[in-house]
Amino acid sequence: MGLIFGSIPGLTFSMALALMVPFTFGMQTTPALGLLLGVYVGGMTGGSVSAILLGIPGTPSAAATVFDGHPMAQRGHAGVALGAAVIASTFGGLFSLLVMMLLLEQVAAIAIKFGPAEIFALVLFGLSTICGMAERSMLRGLVAGTLGLMLMIIGLDELDGIARLTFGTVQMQQGVNLLVAMIGLFAVPQIIGTFLDFGRVEPLKMLADVRARLPTFGQLKQRLWLMVRCSSIGTGIGAIPGTGGPIAAFLAYDHARRFDRQPQNYGKGELSGVVAPESANNAVTGGTMIPLLSLGIPGDPATAVILGGLLIHGLYPGPMLFRTHLEVIYALYVSIVLAYVVILVVQLWGIRIFVKVLSVPPHVLAVCIIVLCGLGSYAIRNSIFDVYLMAVMGLIGYILQRVRIPVAPIVLGLVLGETLEKQYRTALIMTEGDYAVFYTSGVALFFFGLTALTIGLQIFSSRRRRPA
Amino acid sequence: MRLDRVDRWLGPCLLVLAAVWLGLVYAYIPGARQPEEPGPRAFPILLGIVLLVLGGFMTLSAYFPSASRPSDETARATPRELYIVSATFGLLILYAYLLEKLGFVIATPIIVALAMAGILRMRNWIAITALAGGLTAICWMFFVWMLKAPLPRGLWLM
Repeated sequence: MGLIFGSIPGLTFSMALALMVPFTFGMQTTPALGLLLGVYVGGMTGGSVSAILLGIPGTPSAAATVFDGHPMAQRGHAGVALGAAVIASTFGGLFSLLVMMLLLEQVAAIAIKFGPAEIFALVLFGLSTICGMAERSMLRGLVAGTLGLMLMIIGLDELDGIARLTFGTVQMQQGVNLLVAMIGLFAVPQIIGTFLDFGRVEPLKMLADVRARLPTFGQLKQRLWLMVRCSSIGTGIGAIPGTGGPIAAFLAYDHARRFDRQPQNYGKGELSGVVAPESANNAVTGGTMIPLLSLGIPGDPATAVILGGLLIHGLYPGPMLFRTHLEVIYALYVSIVLAYVVILVVQLWGIRIFVKVLSVPPHVLAVCIIVLCGLGSYAIRNSIFDVYLMAVMGLIGYILQRVRIPVAPIVLGLVLGETLEKQYRTALIMTEGDYAVFYTSGVALFFFGLTALTIGLQIFSSRRRRPA
Repeated sequence: MRLDRVDRWLGPCLLVLAAVWLGLVYAYIPGARQPEEPGPRAFPILLGIVLLVLGGFMTLSAYFPSASRPSDETARATPRELYIVSATFGLLILYAYLLEKLGFVIATPIIVALAMAGILRMRNWIAITALAGGLTAICWMFFVWMLKAPLPRGLWLM
């Protein structure tokens, strides 16, 4: 169920979890927990399927997977990308589970120290990845990032409850939904590109004989250390409430690109560009369980629904849970392991079927994607307004692509903007406008330093790349 | 067309966008209730200023390009491209309209047929009918039957 909801753009696994909670009423605690965790894990993993095959991320967490996963599929390596994604996802998920089992209390103690100033600094560091996504022009990347942040502003302000730039319309109050924007920005330019190529360019031969080739052991072994690093990033990010999969995936992607010997290959179909975000976003599943179980704080909407499911069964997460219901904790560990094993088997088996999508003529696939875009945009909030919004975002995406402004930083701005503004304002409201909150915290200073270093290194490397 | 030529109009466009944005923010978003706290207007103003600076920088660098600047190029839009872009955008808007008024079951085959016959100029009506009907049926079965997700039924038909 989670795999299906995660892989279909527009249907989120948070939605699947919410639909599943009523079914757990009549169940015993352990199977109920297993059902919810299975949907959660499946949803997080499934987002990569449509990201790789269609270039439309099934979930926000899979947005970073599009950058290299879809180019790989276009080059006829969909099987390798899907295989690597599911193996990296399983690795990330199990890695974070191990960390959760070993360091639950210690990680929770550090994570709880993250106040608004620290989270603001962390998210600002996340935004600095725009510099890396800006391809050849940092100026264009910054413009795109700013446009993404501007889009995020539209809608109801969460802190003051004031409608911002909604011009009195009720539909605008819900703001620009991230998935709607992503469907428009990623899918519509691709549909237009396919229509433009129809009849003019011979269909690529590789699309006719797509093979479900899996990644080799050597390819995965070469990226094992990368998976460990990105899984650590994902677990750490997941443990901080209010962050989540998309932030982890973007940070991991940027980390992989930055430390690769050939960063220029990223965005063109680099396997590490699939492995890094997928291991990180799935490692978030274990990470989010840390504050959820030890402190009762849900890290993202999905864990908030799981928390609801736990409460229904009379389980109150917090330090006492480990004393009163230790068997539930063990059941949870086993459920996560089982969920990952089942999903690994199902997805590896299913790759042979998934890649058949690519043997459909591109123009027919583009027509199908139009329908899927409309349905996906509508299904997110059952709103026709979102379908109109998707179309407008698609046109904007195409125009920006034509003037060489990358769309990835827009998505990053939309993903991180809300948290960035909310934490910045919360920090200042809590301290009555005292800016010292940002530079008296060691953690915040550490992330500010990393941000400065990232930008500095990017400027330095872009100057070195230019011809003399 | 060289990118610095593109920037000659893109930069001023960004400047206009930033100015309009700042105007709208000042006109429609109230300031902070407490003077020492950043209100709902603080962040949007900051973003407007950032875009203003970036637009200004782009305009200046377009007229005074540095020698080491990479000379990327972008192709001019052809009439065919303009037709396909506007037709695809129009089709998506029409799909949204028809979904609301006629519902998924009627809107989807119409849109599929229009995309294939209107944009791709295909004349194989058997293939068009098969795809239009098949896609609608598969989506309906999957979303409504299996996932119990509500699809638009159409205001005119209700």
